[in-house]
Amino acid sequence: MEKNKIRNFCVVAHIDHGKSTLADRFLEITDTVPRQKMSEQYLDRMELERERGITIKAQAVRMHYSPGEQGEHRLNLIDTPGHVDFSYEVSRSLAACEGAVLLVDASQGVEAQTVGNAYLAVEAGLTVIPVVNKIDLPSADYEESAMEVADLLGIDPSEVLSVSAKTGEGVEQLLEEVIRRIPPPVGEDSLPLRALVFDSTYDLYRGVVAFVRVKEGVVRKGMKVRFMATMTAADIDEVGYFSPDMISCDSLAAGEVGYIITGIKDVVRIQVGDTVTARDAPAAGPLPGYQEPKPMVFAGIYPVDSDDFTSLNDALERLKLNDAALTYAKETSKALGFGFRCGFLGLLHMEIVQERLEREYGLDLVITAPNVVYEVEEQGGGVVYVRNPSDMPDMGTLREVREPYVLATILVPPDHMGAMLELVKERRGIYQDMTYLSGRRVEIRCRLPLAEMVVDFYDQLKSRSRGYASLDYEHAGFSAGNLVKLDILINGEPVDAFSSIVERGSAYDYGRRITQRLRELIPRQLFDVPVQAAIGGRIVARETIKAKRKDVLAKCYGGDVTRKKKLLQKQKEGKKRMKMVGKVEIPQEAFISALRMTREESGR
Amino acid sequence: MRLYIHLPFCLSRCAYCDFNSRVAGFRVRRDYVLALLRELDTWACILGEKERLLESIYIGGGTPSLMSGGDISGLLGEVTARFRVHGGTEVTVEVNPATWNREDFAIACAGGVNRISIGVQALRDRDLKLLGRAHDAREAKDAVTHAMGSDAASVSVDLLYGLPGMSADVLRECLNEVLEMGPHHLSLYALTLEERTPLYDAVAGGEIALPGEDEVAEEFLAGAGLLHERGFEHYEISNFCLPGHHSRHNLACWTREEYLGIGAGAHSFLGSLRFRNTASVLAYKSMVGAGLLPVSDCELLAGQEEVSEEIMLGLRTDRGVRDDILGAGDAYLEDLEDEGLLVREGGRVRLTDRGMLVSNALITDLLPA
Repeated sequence: MEKNKIRNFCVVAHIDHGKSTLADRFLEITDTVPRQKMSEQYLDRMELERERGITIKAQAVRMHYSPGEQGEHRLNLIDTPGHVDFSYEVSRSLAACEGAVLLVDASQGVEAQTVGNAYLAVEAGLTVIPVVNKIDLPSADYEESAMEVADLLGIDPSEVLSVSAKTGEGVEQLLEEVIRRIPPPVGEDSLPLRALVFDSTYDLYRGVVAFVRVKEGVVRKGMKVRFMATMTAADIDEVGYFSPDMISCDSLAAGEVGYIITGIKDVVRIQVGDTVTARDAPAAGPLPGYQEPKPMVFAGIYPVDSDDFTSLNDALERLKLNDAALTYAKETSKALGFGFRCGFLGLLHMEIVQERLEREYGLDLVITAPNVVYEVEEQGGGVVYVRNPSDMPDMGTLREVREPYVLATILVPPDHMGAMLELVKERRGIYQDMTYLSGRRVEIRCRLPLAEMVVDFYDQLKSRSRGYASLDYEHAGFSAGNLVKLDILINGEPVDAFSSIVERGSAYDYGRRITQRLRELIPRQLFDVPVQAAIGGRIVARETIKAKRKDVLAKCYGGDVTRKKKLLQKQKEGKKRMKMVGKVEIPQEAFISALRMTREESGR
Repeated sequence: MRLYIHLPFCLSRCAYCDFNSRVAGFRVRRDYVLALLRELDTWACILGEKERLLESIYIGGGTPSLMSGGDISGLLGEVTARFRVHGGTEVTVEVNPATWNREDFAIACAGGVNRISIGVQALRDRDLKLLGRAHDAREAKDAVTHAMGSDAASVSVDLLYGLPGMSADVLRECLNEVLEMGPHHLSLYALTLEERTPLYDAVAGGEIALPGEDEVAEEFLAGAGLLHERGFEHYEISNFCLPGHHSRHNLACWTREEYLGIGAGAHSFLGSLRFRNTASVLAYKSMVGAGLLPVSDCELLAGQEEVSEEIMLGLRTDRGVRDDILGAGDAYLEDLEDEGLLVREGGRVRLTDRGMLVSNALITDLLPA
């Protein structure tokens, strides 16, 4: 097909603004998916995505559309994730396109991620088509929403389109505008091959399936290629495109979007953002923009049953393949045994990984409280990064401990501005400035320690603004903080899984709450068990689990030796499933509740 | 050999009891005793001359004293017609205060009974009512007085602690009242909530609140302390006696001697075999009637099982167990000794009063892995 008949575009939006529903209408109108096979939100393939109503994995689908005299066009729709945790994936998807549809909910107007995504698209040099969605809703305010989005992009409100992805109204006009406004791809077929890997998935039998956008040259079946960042050599077993199922073809030329299969099964060798080139006629350099994703939030993931360690290892390897941002490294906990310290882009990312491990791989997991990564400057001037609070060196020996900050943008109606500023202050945030957007909404910008956002900042934001506030953030480097390491000691033994780094001012309160909750959760033992919170060597809170006083089988006569013996043996068997901290036995369930509780408590 | 005879009938069901017992008419009870005699016949044929010499007989229930003193004497006569006793054979019968008068005690003793165990349970009428007992405090004391006045060599009283509204003081007061009557033996049981009993339902429904763990522990320690002062030995978790007045029959169970149990639901331990008769009175009668042994379950003990039993039973008593069979290291035993839960002496380990109160957890820890 001629290149001027091809359009590569994506849809970007704030979460829940109807992106997936719009994609469904596209598939229907272009007959890509027959109506009878259409299940709602076809592109969100993972069960989990359906349930949570959010798109996690970018997908790419080729559609054909022939509006009037313009003739048949090939439209490649690259779906993108809508959550702030996944902005790296969004940026990779954007790099595969020439244009973006910026979707705004007519009843909500511009939200924080609308702003974030719009900037990303503009920075990537894309043509942006602003569209107001959900015009069928009674609460829709097209005029106001169009005004906001026009303000944002610095265009005339008349350029803003309106659709109802739900009813299909305006969707055909939108497709025509995609063809009219978005430029066709450029790039010569005759140049050496350069194709961007913007996503990947894993097939049990065929290995890694890499989603590519060919920028220059042609990729063909049988070609000998190299992945430039990882220096991986491979032969192309299959080339194809999605419609939306995988359909193989002979080649993909410059400007086209599709997939390649090389038979490589080692998932770390094919990274999102990498460039594919030909081995016999290699390109001079890779495409710009590849970066190692930098996880900022870490947590320990352990199998409940230590026999599942290998399965967990395999599962993480698989997940890593189409989740470029996930990192993991083996670690050992005295309390939890063998597991992994995993890195995530944010909390939602962590929850999704946890759920996928549990649901898709059937694993039973214990997850520690999440923490951020700390940049530690030692006396000698050396800098190390600490990903697990229990690895934090003695704070007295350090020159400085720095924690990651984010630049947060909160969009909220002016009524709730006070509540938002208060929340920011509680969370050690530094207010920077604010802008009124069309009188209906205020944009507040502030710097916040990421650690304060890690736990329930978003929930608080939502509840204190009665659901009206929206949030976007970007990482803003490391800054020194007045931080201390808080250890929890059970019967005098530090329990690594409960260690945390907290702000000095809140350390005492936090320690007191954790020790109180642990006292309630841990069953009474045969001896008094002190539960302490300590900063350095200093105890800041102490509770005592009093020794068990009465636990007796009052009667045991000739009658019932067998039954009582079975009972005791069952109890003995049950002890094997307990976690031992020194000589203190903690039932698995209590340990998990305690960890869950520290997750809820930390940062509060 | 030791013989246990089970009589699974009561005047009425108590609110806390889940034992194998039922309320039944006279005819059912009479037929049951006939079945007992047939089972005795069978065993008399199986066992050899030496095994038929009985060291103790224990008639328990249920409420054996639903039979009159005369009927108990008759039953003992049938037993000695098939087995043999000697001058030192201990013969115990359990008596409910609502059943026997002075004559019953006298006749039973004349028929061979020399140890009487009385189910007093409590000495406050409100407690007895709550427990659903068929007698009041007056009748309970009368029964003890009558037993003391009989020819029985040992009299034992059963009491419960950990009752709703009880305290260490109330228990001590109750014990003092009992001790005034001079019994030789006391069984002090923690009230245990069993599922499918009226008391369980009442507690679950929030009508009755049981005292907390610490309060109950205080009660027991107060009671045990008082009994120590009065010269009683704490020889098993729930049992106290004046010197020489141990229940020899029960002690034999805890030291893993052999015993034969007859009657519905009775348990036996012969050789390496533990077995149990069917609990159903009807099934029992029909099996025995057909000339069969009415056994429903049995367990053949293998090596490790014997050690487990030695530990779980031995640690119940003041004799304790040899420390080399315990499934716990020296360091842990030392910790427990430091906590005052056990005592190590001459290569043996035994639990203290406080240790006995948490014996369930301790024994679990000390069983072999």
